[in-house]
Amino acid sequence: MNRRRFLGSSAAGGAALGGAAALAWTSRAEGQTANLPPRFAPSAYTVPRSPNSPYLTPDYYTFTDNLVIERNQPGRPHEGKVLAAIQAHSDDITLFAAGTVAKLIAEGYTGYLIRLSNDEKAGKTVGYGVVQNEIDNREAAKALGCKKAFSFYYRNHRMDDCAMVEIRQRLIFLFRLLQVNTVIAMDPYDHYDENPDHLVMGKAVETAAWMAGVGGGREYPEQLKAGLKPAEIRERYYHSRAPQGHNLVNRVVDIGSYIDQKVRANVANKGKGPAGDNGAHLRRTLAAQGRKLPLLGDDDATANFQYVKHFIMDDFRTIGQLFGMEYAETFRYIGPEPDFSATVRRYVDEHAVSA
Amino acid sequence: MDQPGRIHGAAAAAAPGGDVIVMKDEMGQPHQGKVFAAIHAHLDDIPHYGAGLCAKLMHEGYAGYLIRTSNDERSGGRSTAENILNNEQDHARMAAALGFKDVFDFYYLNHDMDGISYIDLRGRLILIFRLLKVDTVISFNPWEQWEQNPDHWVTGRAVEEASWMAAMPNDFPEHLEAGFQPHAVGERYYFCVRPGQPFNRVVDIGSHIEKKIDALVECKTQGDGNRGSMVRAELSHRGKRLPLLGDDDRSADRAYARQFLLEDDREYGKPHHLQYAERFYYADQRRSSRSNADEYIEKNAVPL
Repeated sequence: MNRRRFLGSSAAGGAALGGAAALAWTSRAEGQTANLPPRFAPSAYTVPRSPNSPYLTPDYYTFTDNLVIERNQPGRPHEGKVLAAIQAHSDDITLFAAGTVAKLIAEGYTGYLIRLSNDEKAGKTVGYGVVQNEIDNREAAKALGCKKAFSFYYRNHRMDDCAMVEIRQRLIFLFRLLQVNTVIAMDPYDHYDENPDHLVMGKAVETAAWMAGVGGGREYPEQLKAGLKPAEIRERYYHSRAPQGHNLVNRVVDIGSYIDQKVRANVANKGKGPAGDNGAHLRRTLAAQGRKLPLLGDDDATANFQYVKHFIMDDFRTIGQLFGMEYAETFRYIGPEPDFSATVRRYVDEHAVSA
Repeated sequence: MDQPGRIHGAAAAAAPGGDVIVMKDEMGQPHQGKVFAAIHAHLDDIPHYGAGLCAKLMHEGYAGYLIRTSNDERSGGRSTAENILNNEQDHARMAAALGFKDVFDFYYLNHDMDGISYIDLRGRLILIFRLLKVDTVISFNPWEQWEQNPDHWVTGRAVEEASWMAAMPNDFPEHLEAGFQPHAVGERYYFCVRPGQPFNRVVDIGSHIEKKIDALVECKTQGDGNRGSMVRAELSHRGKRLPLLGDDDRSADRAYARQFLLEDDREYGKPHHLQYAERFYYADQRRSSRSNADEYIEKNAVPL
């Protein structure tokens, strides 16, 4: 089956489009290979995928009918708030969510980057891999404007062998120490993701974000005795990753103003991934052949930057155009719980009578 | 704790682990400013195996903290939920009776601690050791043979490893971020619980026996702390009384503890002419501030 074909839109997709300049969802009448009978409305959408960058868009998205497009907010409305961007590997957040991280920090958040694995599998030896990725994680955090980067160094690609509850303990500790309000991480339900680190990380974040709060006062009470305060995490941005997956999307973030920062964060990932020094490498390869690509400029820094922006960010440009913007990142967003006690109080105020 | 663990008679002659040193009372408060953590799995472990040492160390200046790792849900004869609550309440009272400054309860599943995330337990102990700057631990011997209760050896293993790792800055570096510095736990006292387990310290607890009894009688949900009053009530029901047990429940419990629950402590003391003693395997992991290399360099370095 050709997974790159792009199914037609239907009312089942809801109000997925926003803005007059949106790239329309069209069905391909010519060479149509989808065989869904007309009486069925599709419940998932294939998304155009760039041939330039691997693994950045899942096969299918499911869009909710209350999808929100999050745009730039003026001023610094999030001043005083704290976000934690948690990734299994040094290039997860930078590839999938760096634009949103940069945006939220620009809008007032204090940001922290937390990496769970040691990335040992990405390097000419395990030792080199660990060292280079440690540097990359730190540099990516700086590029994004994060206040600090943390690393837990669990063994790369073996995190399903770790004790999830210990990872959770450490995340709860950090969430409480840093007083995190918002987490950004890979979707814990990243269907068909073949990398166990992602799934373990996602579940650990999901459970820790809940248990770190006031209701979790019985969770690791020694941390509270040590002076840490419960952390009320009220917002979660979960990004997708698995190329074979399908992910629920209810928030699309306009990262057009922050794309250069996202590019720089990806260039910082030299140890692995599709970004890093690939631009400079390509420029030198071409030079050795007596050729040049004007896009890549005349120095390594320009080559790296332009390579990432032109090739690697293609998918984010594509999804952005689908929603009427230059670049976008997509998320399953979970927002604050409604205050049920306030609802009850209001009802009482309105309806209570004298005894 | 389970009753078969009690050591009686000839079997009490457990194998010494090297030279046996008798620890007597120290005058004044030589340990002022120091901290110990007593880590046990169940309500009645420290009261039976180490309450005398705990009372002695606190009398001599230590600040003592108590950590219980299991939830004791399997012990108490009531429903699982009632056992958890009753043991929890007894534990708080027992800790207060002995004079512990604070108590930490981890509530891992009783008798199932070999199924938990062991490194989760270790991580929590490392945080507490760094937070409190623990100098000395009292716990189960991690290598105790013939130990059928997994909670004991899991606790002992986690304590031993956490005691060492708490000094390593790369273990849980986020603790340093929170202001808790790496901290080495220098001294370890491991209980001698089963026949044949090694010991190299015999601690004279004669001066602190009343404190030990104070702790034992709070172990009502398990540990026979209220056995004296139960026997007194049972005898009364049969029209009998035991003069040893006195005329009220409190006296009965204390008398029972003194007569029956301290049998081992009397046996341990006999070879050393002590009224009561507890046995431990003691490991001194304190490092000298100056190494052999430092001393050699100091002694042998010459001008260029």
